[in-house]
Amino acid sequence: MPRFLLFYRLMVRPLLREPLRTLLTILAIALGVAVVLAIALAGDAATGSFRSSMETLAGENELEVLTSGGVPEYVVGTLATLAYSIRVSPRIEDYAVITDTKKSLPLIGLDLVAEGSAYAQSAFQKTAESQTQSAQVFNQVGDADDIWVGSSVGYRTSDRVELLINDRVRKYTVRGVYPDSNGNESAIVMDLAAAQHALGRYGRVDRILLKVPETPSLGDWQLRLRTVLPAGVEVRLRGTATNENRRMLAAFRWNLRLLSYISLIVGAFLIYNTISVSVVRRRPEIGIVRSLGASRGVILSAFLGEAACLGLAGALIGLPLGRLMATGAVRLMAATVESLYVSSRPGAIELNGACVLLALAIGVGVAVASSYSPAREASRVSPVEAMARGRREYDARVHKARDLWLALVLGLAAAAASRAPAVAGKPLLGYLAAILLVAASALAMPAFVDALTSVASNLLDKVFGVEAMLASRTLRASLRRTSVLVGALSTAIAMMTAVGIMVGSFRQTVVLWMSDQLPADLYLRPAGFAAADRHPTISSGVAEEVAKLPGVAAVERLRAYEISYEDMPATLASADLNVRRSHGNSDFFSGRPREQVFAELRDSNAVIVSEPFTYKHHLKAGDSLTLSLGATQASFRIADVYYDYSSERGSILMDRQTMLRFLPDPAPSNVAIYVSPDSQLEIVRAEIEKATAGHRVLLFSNRDLRAEAMRIFDRTFAITYALEAVAIIVAVMGIAGALLALVIDRRRELGLLRFFGAATWQVRKLILIEASLLGLLANLAGLALGFVLSLILIYVVNKQSFGWTIRFHWPVEILFGALTVVYGVTVLAGLYPAQVAVRLNPIEVIHEE
Amino acid sequence: MPILSLQDVSKDYLTDGQPVHALKGLSLNVERGEFVALVGRSGCGKSTLLNLAGAMDFPTSGKVLLDGVSTSSLEDNGLTRLRRERVGFIFQSFQLLHTLTVFENVELPLLLAGKRNPREAARERLAWVELEGLGDRHPHQLSGGQMQRVAVARALIHSPSLLLADEPTGNLDTMTGNVILELLKRLAREQNTATIVATHSLEAASLANTLVRLRDGKIEELTRR
Ligand SMILES: Nc1ncnc2c1ncn2[C@@H]1O[C@H](COP(=O)(O)OP(=O)(O)OP(=O)(O)O)[C@@H](O)[C@H]1O
Ligand SMILES: [Mg+2]
Repeated sequence: MPRFLLFYRLMVRPLLREPLRTLLTILAIALGVAVVLAIALAGDAATGSFRSSMETLAGENELEVLTSGGVPEYVVGTLATLAYSIRVSPRIEDYAVITDTKKSLPLIGLDLVAEGSAYAQSAFQKTAESQTQSAQVFNQVGDADDIWVGSSVGYRTSDRVELLINDRVRKYTVRGVYPDSNGNESAIVMDLAAAQHALGRYGRVDRILLKVPETPSLGDWQLRLRTVLPAGVEVRLRGTATNENRRMLAAFRWNLRLLSYISLIVGAFLIYNTISVSVVRRRPEIGIVRSLGASRGVILSAFLGEAACLGLAGALIGLPLGRLMATGAVRLMAATVESLYVSSRPGAIELNGACVLLALAIGVGVAVASSYSPAREASRVSPVEAMARGRREYDARVHKARDLWLALVLGLAAAAASRAPAVAGKPLLGYLAAILLVAASALAMPAFVDALTSVASNLLDKVFGVEAMLASRTLRASLRRTSVLVGALSTAIAMMTAVGIMVGSFRQTVVLWMSDQLPADLYLRPAGFAAADRHPTISSGVAEEVAKLPGVAAVERLRAYEISYEDMPATLASADLNVRRSHGNSDFFSGRPREQVFAELRDSNAVIVSEPFTYKHHLKAGDSLTLSLGATQASFRIADVYYDYSSERGSILMDRQTMLRFLPDPAPSNVAIYVSPDSQLEIVRAEIEKATAGHRVLLFSNRDLRAEAMRIFDRTFAITYALEAVAIIVAVMGIAGALLALVIDRRRELGLLRFFGAATWQVRKLILIEASLLGLLANLAGLALGFVLSLILIYVVNKQSFGWTIRFHWPVEILFGALTVVYGVTVLAGLYPAQVAVRLNPIEVIHEE
Repeated sequence: MPILSLQDVSKDYLTDGQPVHALKGLSLNVERGEFVALVGRSGCGKSTLLNLAGAMDFPTSGKVLLDGVSTSSLEDNGLTRLRRERVGFIFQSFQLLHTLTVFENVELPLLLAGKRNPREAARERLAWVELEGLGDRHPHQLSGGQMQRVAVARALIHSPSLLLADEPTGNLDTMTGNVILELLKRLAREQNTATIVATHSLEAASLANTLVRLRDGKIEELTRR
């Protein structure tokens, strides 16, 4: 008990005496904790608990049979007539848009005659009551235009509903409504044949779900079934796709999570600073307490305890804050996931016990860890010296040269780590290199600050007068404190710069790539909802109609399928390769011109694959790969590797004729239209619109499509910008708090200036110059560190996580703008401390000493 | 006209709602070149009087005229200008800025007043206090007596007409303290600067042209020699 009393009197009370500064420190930790928590929570909601909408509707079936491009329908018969009691549920799976509400829902075709009630029971086993309800719902055989909808969609039996499926709109009648308690599993159900008709998917089903008897094991069942299935058709555990998607998203989540730690690192600097300040200020007290019999351990634990209290308070505020931020983060993340990876609907955000513990552990852990060094210094204070010499000389003690050497060593270690390969597919050593660099720059900071302030001091003196001289002297005199502050802010700025350069380079690379990749004048695609893993089609014949129009020089039909390759989702595509116009740059690793590569693909089992694909599957040009296409399995040679920045999922591209040999569905996913040079684009466009009037298709000009692509690109990185903004806010709050401390510690000096004829504006100017000097130093150091970090991000982290080749590019305007804003905000952060300085009563502060 | 004129000056402080009467209707005129010793028991109001005289604070009632200008009539800017031009301060604990060299400490008031190239003036003032050659040192490289001499040089850098010293010898041994007092006295005469020294030292009292003894915020004795 007396211990706590002492702790309260000596440690807590001083904190309460400076509520604003204490609050700023706590808020800095709170923000750091909140960001980490928000990203963890949002990650779980947007991707971690991710199950594609189809999976939630798959019921209790254990196995699934599928292949690229659809399973031939006769396989259903093969399975159903086996001498085992297997329940066989063939499925058509796609998406439909309700035209009234523009809502996109899973569209499921199933054999209602055979399994209407069974489906209802297995898929919707919420309550016994709803089971029987569902059973009744599907207990009737319908017409081709009958559908069943989940109750949350909001229709009633015999309502007429207009659905957009691929490029067609049809009216359907709601034959029944089934209960879908939490809204996630809403779908539109129709009869298998009706679905096949609606989607033009005759003679094929997308997936066959199997429920097998309990013995033998699922593995044995797989082996047993494989023998009766055609070569290309695969049987695997249901839900495999979920795991595949999760694996695909791993790198994305990982990188985001690491970015979320930036604010925490910045927060750690600030805790370090807060505790350092409190140690320096209380040196005489420490001396007294020590001479009165307190052991080193007591002093150490007192300061660690102080930090832990701040950390705990921060974590407690960070918890609800993080929960709040998670809502926004989910939206941003879900959008990215949807456009780059896979269509999914974010789950609910769950703040469970583990998250709470995580937040508390992070808050307290970071606080205690970053305060350890100053706390240890406090415990080493010799009682006599502390009381005799006070704080002044202590502040100056920094091992500049030694730290500079250490920084050099760390820098070299970082260089070595950046050259190492990925560990288990993750750029662990790349991140290590980044962390080492941040540490190196923190260590080099005192030397940097010292050198720069001494240069600046003379210069500033001439330009900004005596206040500038005083400001630079002060910063230099408390070198350690200044270095930590500059370190904190410059780390935040460096991260911002690094990510800014990386994203800017990426963007520029994409812009250049797109100008090669989108050579056509107009693009046609179905109005149905498209995503990275959804490829609605245009009715076959439309492209051919368009091709015949006057003014249309050529059309290129592209068809994409969502496939699974080596347990990873991928996109399989085909195109009319003979149509593509040549252009200046090569798209290929080999550097060969397009015509040459495409000629190789014509009439042969050769494909080209995208860069991320080779990276994910460790393949290169010349290797061969085996693809399951419909009922057959075929081997393809990789003719070349092409740059592709449209999605992180790997892509395989083959000639249209090659694909049609295996998958005869002629409907294209989209069509590129080349207008003859002597025709007017707008006239041709109007012609095309007339010709496609019976279909729900969207016609984009080249420029629209690019703008759309860039919009998606920018949305993808929105969350990154948000994370950086928080890190900057944390750093600026730290600067404000630290300047406040600096003002309070220097009140005697500031009071003295008033005695010697300083006007209030001069005192204010002094503090603002200090703030702006801190900002300037941090910007310079941050820019330099950020540049090096960006190289690591572009050439190591990005390459090892996603497999993209990004060309370096300085996003000058954005960087300049961002740095100016940060600088301005830093100076603004000095306003309040400056006001405090002005309000000091000179007589009182002089008297205190 | 006296450089400093206190006319029926009272000063009350409020502590926890209770007024403390630090000065009670006190009047005093100080002429240029006059060397005044301000003595009295601790808490009698010496520091308060100096703060009012230096326009760092205002009287609760009565008037403080600095070179004929009432301090209560001025805004912050005017007070700052008054201080810059007329008043120099010396403190018991020297109050040098440790981040600045001796030269820079001495120059500070001129720099704050926006004067360019104050180095010559600083060199001259350091010569007055016999510290030539120490200009580039930092305060922590000086003895206490030297530090106080730097403070004297600083207080005189802008040739003030009123020099206010609050126990300038309080942190020094008697010998060194006496040297500082002699110095102040000499400079007051040479520069025709009115000097008020609040002190407990009898030595100072004996050096002064004018002895003012305070008691409970009132002048108990005023002796001009
Ligand atoms: N800021 C203040 N608030 C309240 N009371 C004050 C304040 N400053 C001084 N006093 C009171 O005013 C009276 C005069 O104080 P002052 O500092 O002028 O005394 P002093 O003569 O300088 O004493 P010393 O010789 O000990 O320095 C004292 O009673 C003191 O307690
Ligand atoms: Mg006093």
